[in-house]
Amino acid sequence: MSRIGVFVCWCGSNIAGTVDVAKITEEAKKVPGVVTAVDYKYMCSDPGQNSLRNMIREQNLTGVVLAACSPHMHENTFRKAAVKEGLNPYFVEIANIREQVSWVHEDKERATQKAIDLMKMMVEKVKRDKPIEDVRVPLNKRALVIGGGISGIQAALDIASGGVEVLLVEKEPSIGGRMIQLDETFPTLDCSSCIMTPKMVEVNQNPNIKLYTYSEVEDVSGYIGNFKVKIRKKTKSVIEKDCTGCGECWNVCPMHKNVKSEFNMNLSERTAIYVPFPQAVPLVPVLDRSACLHFKKGGKCVKCYEACGPKCIDFDMKDEIVEETVGAIVAATGYDLMDNSIYGEYGYGKYKDVVSGLQFERLLSASGPTEGVIKRPSDGTTPQTIVFIQCVGSRDPEKGVPYCSKVCCMYTAKHAKLFAHKVHGSQSYVFYIDIRATSKGYEEFVRGVMEQDGAIYLRGRVSKIYEDGGKLIVKGADTLSGNQVEIAADMVVLATGVIPKNGAGKVAQMLGISYDKYGFFTESHPKLRPAESSTAGIFLAGMAQGPRDIPESVVSGSAAASKILGLFSKNEYEVEGTIASVNEATCVACFYCQRVCGFNAIGPKEIKDRSGKIIKVVANVNPGLCTGCGACVNACFSKSIDVKGFTDDQIYAEIRSLAI
Amino acid sequence: MANTDEKLQKIAKDLLEGGEVSLVIGYTKGSIPQRMRPVFITKAQDASRLSFSCYAVQDLAVFLKKPEVKKFGKIGIVVKGCDEKAINALIQEYQLLRDDIKIIGMECNGIIRQNLADKGEAAVSETTVYDKCLICNEHTPVLYDYLVPSENQKLNLSGNIKPYAKIEELDSMSAEDKSAFWKKEFDKCLKCYACRQACPLCYCSRCIVEKNMPQWIDTNIEETGNAQWNLIRAYHLSGRCIGCGECERACPVNIPLMLINEKMARDTYSLFGNKSGLDINAKPVFGVFSESDFNEFIK
Repeated sequence: MSRIGVFVCWCGSNIAGTVDVAKITEEAKKVPGVVTAVDYKYMCSDPGQNSLRNMIREQNLTGVVLAACSPHMHENTFRKAAVKEGLNPYFVEIANIREQVSWVHEDKERATQKAIDLMKMMVEKVKRDKPIEDVRVPLNKRALVIGGGISGIQAALDIASGGVEVLLVEKEPSIGGRMIQLDETFPTLDCSSCIMTPKMVEVNQNPNIKLYTYSEVEDVSGYIGNFKVKIRKKTKSVIEKDCTGCGECWNVCPMHKNVKSEFNMNLSERTAIYVPFPQAVPLVPVLDRSACLHFKKGGKCVKCYEACGPKCIDFDMKDEIVEETVGAIVAATGYDLMDNSIYGEYGYGKYKDVVSGLQFERLLSASGPTEGVIKRPSDGTTPQTIVFIQCVGSRDPEKGVPYCSKVCCMYTAKHAKLFAHKVHGSQSYVFYIDIRATSKGYEEFVRGVMEQDGAIYLRGRVSKIYEDGGKLIVKGADTLSGNQVEIAADMVVLATGVIPKNGAGKVAQMLGISYDKYGFFTESHPKLRPAESSTAGIFLAGMAQGPRDIPESVVSGSAAASKILGLFSKNEYEVEGTIASVNEATCVACFYCQRVCGFNAIGPKEIKDRSGKIIKVVANVNPGLCTGCGACVNACFSKSIDVKGFTDDQIYAEIRSLAI
Repeated sequence: MANTDEKLQKIAKDLLEGGEVSLVIGYTKGSIPQRMRPVFITKAQDASRLSFSCYAVQDLAVFLKKPEVKKFGKIGIVVKGCDEKAINALIQEYQLLRDDIKIIGMECNGIIRQNLADKGEAAVSETTVYDKCLICNEHTPVLYDYLVPSENQKLNLSGNIKPYAKIEELDSMSAEDKSAFWKKEFDKCLKCYACRQACPLCYCSRCIVEKNMPQWIDTNIEETGNAQWNLIRAYHLSGRCIGCGECERACPVNIPLMLINEKMARDTYSLFGNKSGLDINAKPVFGVFSESDFNEFIK
């Protein structure tokens, strides 16, 4: 016989202000199976929890219903209290009469009636609860970090420093990501490569980090604690362990004018065998076969092979697939810039001297195509006037994206400052919508650019850019003075909006994590679980989650790492027991459940008789992967799957409780 | 006709003699000429009992779901094009392994309606065959191991007869009228579940009507229970029904179940471009989880 206790929380006036808590208590007492009902000002407080515990003990309660706030808030609190009195935690049910009643309704009488209904439903549910054991999953204490930019590097270093082995997989020939492309960084103007290369070298030297560059994660299966990962090591055509990084090969490569350097944002050329930049980690070149004469002309050119001292160039090398098992994953795939050419009026792609923000970084950089001297891409002269246009693509729901790319205000200000420092007597103009400079030292930095470096900030948009006599004529509006302005500029820099890395959606699908409509990975909770993805064991870091600057990226890398180290501090991971379970007696193995499962959590299971003969195949739920979403329950024709704690029987009883 | 039967018998005989199958399910002549009944041949010398004609109305694929048939392991089966689609759907839904079945496909130009056949009708024409034959695109089965060609003339369609004409009529009715129509039809239901037993794709070992914790469908033969049963039966076959018409034929109270089945088949085709039972490798239309679904929520 059920002995249910109902506890109605006032939540101060949060609930009691709109809902007649005394009436709920009275009504609860009338429900069959309820042996006690009380209301209290704050059930979550110590005295509140104690009254719950006392009642369970004194009244021998078999289940409790809390008519209180959302289960997201205090379900755990009350479960823990119940467990202390020997109750299975799943015999605690919450009727959410705050978020679902008092906060959203005004009519006290009807709100009270709704609260009573919710309470009754939960009583019917708790009566039919069965003890559920949480699932324990053993953990492989190794981590995979996808993406070797600053956030991935930070995550890898932090995980490694916790004594855990890390695999760091980077698509490009070198780690470093976008940050290593930058010149100096706002607001302190420390040079990006100066602060980043030590970290990159540390990655290479850390015995706990296994680095896979020029590699891509091709497949991920499994679940938290036990992910099976396939990594494709793309052919470098260079035997890594023998290479000294001396540079003889790329120095003799005849294809030095044929390929645009991706690292320099197409502002210079590279050879077919190349390292993307001098500080590359690892300092091992890769051979781009699509550009190499050896592969284009039937094996004739072997200049690099001849020049190579240790003879570590291998034209016959093939892609290699490595299979690894890890217990947790960090997805830090980073970002790309939007395609500027959608703004035909700015002439990007048409006029050489209209460049993107990242291209301008390369023009500023000492390791860039101009060795740090700002030169116009068209004729190599030094520009005297530069117009910077902010929000190109960002905050433009019509043509671009509605969100703010966050870093552009600051890097544009930095560009203007560096331009003023490098070209004395120069003038910069900045077209902006709003200036967003909200972190430590940012506002002061922008002020300095305006006041000390003389940048002229114009609030408004540019309508057209055209070339006239070697100048770029920029026509725009200054909405503060109300005037039309026309500036004859030598260069235009577009502060292009940030979008997720090309292919991020594919990565998300492979990992089984959710992403938003733009392709940024979504957090498990935007505020309270910002490092976790929607899938257990997969964590997020860096710009793959959305626009953010370097400090935030570093923080997010560390956050993901600390989550993983926390997870790995135990030997097993506990998964909530509310997962799908199959009635093996009635399952006919049509596997519609498997087809609709978004988490690959269902597979076949053979049932054998005593002699080992297979007598039946049924669907089987992998507890490590199942999230208890219930899609399979819907798909099952014979109703042979239930989610524990949310069985059809319980849901039916809840609905029926409303009819009487 | 004799020629067709000989070819069919030879195939079955060879299959059984060669040990490729241990059972052939087919048709044999019934006690009256206009009726054919199923036969289960396990010995090669009995293969001569097999026959096929325009009276071979039953969808024999229904037997493939029976445990007593399954235990034979490798099975040969005689099928018309429509029935063969049921085999494809069963393979699609993992109820059958392609390697375990030898499909003896019969080219078919139409099956005479049983009520007419019983009155002595012998001519295959657009006025004597089932509606399903009029819309049939699979006179030759889409998948077979052996094909027995037909010696009959192709079905000649004048276009004057509209198959399942009632569907358009129902579509044009108001919701109230439609509801009244079906209420009247479902009112006749006895809950005998013959429709389920005759269906080759209703293979659950425990049907949802037999689930009683909770009781999904009221078991009484009153309005609610009847509507629940008929609608759930229909939904459980949406995107799956191959249109063999056996449910309607089995119904002792003549509920026009094919109107529902055909309507659903048309809807799934127009909404999802899917026709059931044509490809053993296709995913069932309601068994697809796709990130590229046009519905945003699924991402």
